[in-house]
Amino acid sequence: MPRRLFTGFAALLLAVCPARALELPVVADTLANGLRVLVHEDHSAPVVSSYIFYRSGSRNETRGETGIAHLFEHMMFNGGKKFGPGAFDDQIEGHGGSTNGFTMRDCTAYLNNFPREALPIVLDLESDRMGNLALTKQNLEQERGIVMEERRLRTDDNVSGAMNEALYLQAFVQSPYRWPVVGFMSDLQHITLEQAHAYFHTYYAPNRATLVLAGDVEPRAAIALVRRYFEKIPRHDEPPPVDATEPPQDGERTAVVRKNAELPAVLIGYHGVAVKDPDRPVFDLLERVLSGGESTRLYQDLIREHEIATGVEASNEWGIDPDVFWVYAQARPGKTAAQLTARIDAVMQRLAAEPVPADELRKAKNVLQADFVKGLKTVSGKANQLGFFQTVFGDYRAMFGLEAAWEAVTADDIRRVAGARLVPTNRTVIVLEPVHTGRPAREGPPKAGAVS
Amino acid sequence: MRTLVVAVLVAACTLAWAADEVVVPPITRATLDNGLRVVVVEYHELPLLEFTLIVGAGAAQDPAGKEGTAALVAGTLTKGAGKLGADELARAIESLGGRIGASPGTDGTIVSAEFLAKDFAAGLDLLRQVLLDPTFAKDEIRRARDEQEASIVAALEDTSAVAEKCYAGLLYGAHPYGRPVDGRSTTVAKLGRGDVRDFYERWYRPNNTVLVLVGDVNAADAVRRLREAFGAWRGRPDAVPPRIAPPERITARRVLLVDKPDATQTQIRFGNIAIARNDPRFIPATVGNTILGGGFTSQLIEELRIKRSLTYAAWSQFAARLTGGDFRIGTFTKTPTTTETLQLALQVEGTFRTHPPAPAALEKAKTYLRGQFPLRIESPDALAGRLAEIEFHGLPEDELRTYRARVAAVSGDEVASVAETLMPSPDVVAIVVVGKAAEIRAPLEAAFGPVETMAAAECENLSTRKR
Repeated sequence: MPRRLFTGFAALLLAVCPARALELPVVADTLANGLRVLVHEDHSAPVVSSYIFYRSGSRNETRGETGIAHLFEHMMFNGGKKFGPGAFDDQIEGHGGSTNGFTMRDCTAYLNNFPREALPIVLDLESDRMGNLALTKQNLEQERGIVMEERRLRTDDNVSGAMNEALYLQAFVQSPYRWPVVGFMSDLQHITLEQAHAYFHTYYAPNRATLVLAGDVEPRAAIALVRRYFEKIPRHDEPPPVDATEPPQDGERTAVVRKNAELPAVLIGYHGVAVKDPDRPVFDLLERVLSGGESTRLYQDLIREHEIATGVEASNEWGIDPDVFWVYAQARPGKTAAQLTARIDAVMQRLAAEPVPADELRKAKNVLQADFVKGLKTVSGKANQLGFFQTVFGDYRAMFGLEAAWEAVTADDIRRVAGARLVPTNRTVIVLEPVHTGRPAREGPPKAGAVS
Repeated sequence: MRTLVVAVLVAACTLAWAADEVVVPPITRATLDNGLRVVVVEYHELPLLEFTLIVGAGAAQDPAGKEGTAALVAGTLTKGAGKLGADELARAIESLGGRIGASPGTDGTIVSAEFLAKDFAAGLDLLRQVLLDPTFAKDEIRRARDEQEASIVAALEDTSAVAEKCYAGLLYGAHPYGRPVDGRSTTVAKLGRGDVRDFYERWYRPNNTVLVLVGDVNAADAVRRLREAFGAWRGRPDAVPPRIAPPERITARRVLLVDKPDATQTQIRFGNIAIARNDPRFIPATVGNTILGGGFTSQLIEELRIKRSLTYAAWSQFAARLTGGDFRIGTFTKTPTTTETLQLALQVEGTFRTHPPAPAALEKAKTYLRGQFPLRIESPDALAGRLAEIEFHGLPEDELRTYRARVAAVSGDEVASVAETLMPSPDVVAIVVVGKAAEIRAPLEAAFGPVETMAAAECENLSTRKR
């Protein structure tokens, strides 16, 4: 159940490309207290989607209180001044809406999808918790236990989740991207109410938020309504900027994760670039040349030609600060992590040595373009993207400039970036060593105690 | 008040907009001479084409001892067709920014395709070749079989997937609905090209298939093009599978403990046989399910998550299939609170089935379902999926248009009745617990009596034994 989830891989879903013909009409405004408001009108169904993005995620945390951004997201559902504990969910669902939230490294978002008649109550609820969240000991203890269960689900008892956590811890030394969005278990145990208060006061300010409405609304009336509910919330001082300066990496880093698992796997992270870097579109194209379909290079090599992997995936993670470009592959039974790494190396070396043929580059661009269209099927999808671009790129219109940037990428760019970045000295390799305890050995008697 | 207005509008069969009504776009239905049922809906918001087909054969039609055949057919369907080899076909589809995929299920196999509207001719031609002229090259079958065997092993790493598979095996036993869709490791290894061809030749026929297209098309033109593309597909009188006998309830409580020695968290599933998708009680059952375990204000969430922080998620569900199905509850918790959580979930469910819902809870659940309905059919692929489900299960043609009115009409008595009759007594359920057996076996046995224990890899064999 994707409820108030932390999404370590969420950037992948958002790595989409706008087509010129599909530029979304948006009415934008900024309130006196700094709240950015974006409204996209779409009358195809009598429903509205609202997203509030706060420019704060695990990137804004400090050591000793990792996970507070996400824990805080949970606490946001437990009442304000006008609405008491439990009222948020009750009111939203009681008006036919659904509600959720998610936390990423760069931001935290709260969404509601609801019948258009519910717009006033949704704005009332959202403004109540933005201005007057009730932070209580009971609320903190309740959500602490729930979030610890979430961590067990997604990281401690999840092989790829554990590998992902290990990758960021090895790849980054100084950047706040190094710790997991969900936080370390010991920090989750120790976060105090005072820390939660301080976090709220610092980051949950209208001047750090973007409210997006998409759907069956009239923009002028909707903005007037937003003013009525949000204008009274005071602006807060901006906290000092986050310093994510990362010392240069001088050589390959490797780490081993030993878990109860069936098959070896590797997760390789190459240092990438920030979203606004001119080379980011080149990494986006590299992602699509390498994976995402059966005609892509990693699939063709590791699955078709060499038959050593059950699955393979590459992703260029988008971040305000430089994130990673990762490749994950899981071995077939009898194959090894070393074999996977060797083939991934060979694929990368070829990218650095030979230009990508024109038709293959065209295909990758077409896939990006089509995926952009597919991301706009729902009002919720549209509101999500507008809010994400406003928050992470600093301007929702960045969405509409991306296709041109992708179109401009050349085969030479691909070769240049692959040669400079997708190399062993710039990477961290996480190797999964399976500890076989979940099934009896293929030969010989079952392990004692495994069967009754 | 609002409810009343909806009911009147629906009774008048109007498609006009009203403050509270949802417009379902016009649906064009046609049946080709070869028996292929075609459904087309025009959707002009985005330049997309969304195809959803259901071929009426899945794991339930796997021959005995050849479990996994339906999945292997689906796995090789897109690996070469017409004159195109597997890699050429993938390149042709992906060059258009499109996708064709086949996903095996229990009663049927879903074949879906997505293309940009400008590529209608090329995309449709590729889809036609995949369905009518798959190559099933020997080497591709070998590759797909290897991948299927590997995926059975890989799935053992996912505790939640293990819990679902073991639950199905424990509850359904040798009934066809208990079969793991991927097959068993011992049966998949023996499958060959003949098995794949036989399954395809028998079941992949127009008179056993539903095709839905939602997209940026003119409906009449689309039906003409579909007729051209699929008119030559030959039907077969025995292509429609004989009706599977409905599964029978288990009559006592059974507890299965699946050992995951390094788990820090336990996955829990329990339930019993309930209803088929076309059962007239499905709507009241959905309302009752929402109160107990749907959304974020359900009774399970309230008791397990909010009051006690025992879990991150708890839910209930009617898994309703062609001739039968089950009602199940799922949750998970840290190892030490396993027994407490299971007992509490059983207690919440037991109380719900013996106590009529409070009027306010009933109203909230109905408002929630009605409010969310337009969002559930908003995207063209979701709409295509719903329409295919309607055709496949033989539901009324006005299923979507009347949905909200039918939800609004559900009474407290109806919910009380489905809760009592379709949700199992806590003493008569199949319970699966996946976790660290060394720590949880003793408390489970103290609370529930004898507990059967097995390794995750052995659950696939539950589908071969009589219950």
